[in-house]
Amino acid sequence: MSAHLSLEQLLELREPGVEPGTAEARAHLDGCAACAEEFRRLEQRAARLRALPSLRPSRDHWRAVQARLDAERRRRRVRWAGVGSVALAASLLAAVVVRDLAAPAPLEASTELGSVMAQSRMLEEAIRAYGPEARVVDGYTATVAGELEERIARLDRELESSQFLEDAERQDVMVQLWRERVGLLDALVDVHLASASNVGL
Amino acid sequence: MSRTLVMDSFLLADAESVVARARAGDAAALEAIYRAFEPPVYNLARRICRSVEDAEDVLQETFFEVCRSIRTFRAEGSLWGWIRTIAASKALMRLRRNKYRDTDELHDEVVAFRREDVGLRMDLEAALERLSDTARAVVWLHDVEGYTHDEIAALMGKTTSFSKSQLARAHQRLRRWLGEEAVA
Repeated sequence: MSAHLSLEQLLELREPGVEPGTAEARAHLDGCAACAEEFRRLEQRAARLRALPSLRPSRDHWRAVQARLDAERRRRRVRWAGVGSVALAASLLAAVVVRDLAAPAPLEASTELGSVMAQSRMLEEAIRAYGPEARVVDGYTATVAGELEERIARLDRELESSQFLEDAERQDVMVQLWRERVGLLDALVDVHLASASNVGL
Repeated sequence: MSRTLVMDSFLLADAESVVARARAGDAAALEAIYRAFEPPVYNLARRICRSVEDAEDVLQETFFEVCRSIRTFRAEGSLWGWIRTIAASKALMRLRRNKYRDTDELHDEVVAFRREDVGLRMDLEAALERLSDTARAVVWLHDVEGYTHDEIAALMGKTTSFSKSQLARAHQRLRRWLGEEAVA
């Protein structure tokens, strides 16, 4: 081999394993001072890259990571509790409707219950579609969203226990709780929207 | 012992026990892993990403993923190797998402426009920063982190020869910008 080695060939010589033509290139390198010098510079450049100072973040990010993990755990809890209470409330609502059909009575409360449950579902779907768990949020948003999710989880537990109430007060209590749930979900949507607009999404 | 396994014990004393506790959901163990590996993860992210903000997002995303998936980590492997691959993957994903100006054409335009720089000895940091995003990522992953071209290709969803050609271009440019004479 008479011509000097190309940069690609020199780079190839740094790779483990034997590529076709490597032995020939290696032989050339051993006998050519110019290519040996170029190879040495290549090695030095890589060594200098490895010796660059280690860069450090300007602040601690562990709390933000923790906040995201906590939010995800709460969200999972809310989702399961929410699904459970939606199913429960739906079956209760169906039971109420069947009962009311059997013994006609005013349907206002059950109609309202159906309406707030639908609103709650719509807001939950909107949040799910936005996918907050896949997004990076600032500490403030994570804290506020976390508090709202915690309150929703508490409401869901109250909704589950409301099934043990007397028929007479159960519907009113459930309507009230589902209204509160819609209010909290609404606030959660606002928090995520504000966060998204802050980062220009 | 591989370099990454050495890194585990260097960065995190009693790594095996910490990982076992983290896998069981111990919050203190997860934090210990974060504290031990935050510097190299951030450094990797910052060297690949264009901005501090992106690097910090990658840092958070990486450890969020590490904490969520620590149960899937196979204890016989290197913890640093596993975390580093998550970090590299998140950083490359961030580059793709941001769609930085990364075509060779645009890059060459910039070089031509700033031709007065040619011949001046640039600082290595500045030269690295000036590479296109893809070339910078490849040169960092290969020359500093020790990834093979096959591994880089898999991370980037490209071919091995793509990784090789990006590395060669990166070195050509670094050589020129650093004022080193070419022989060939």
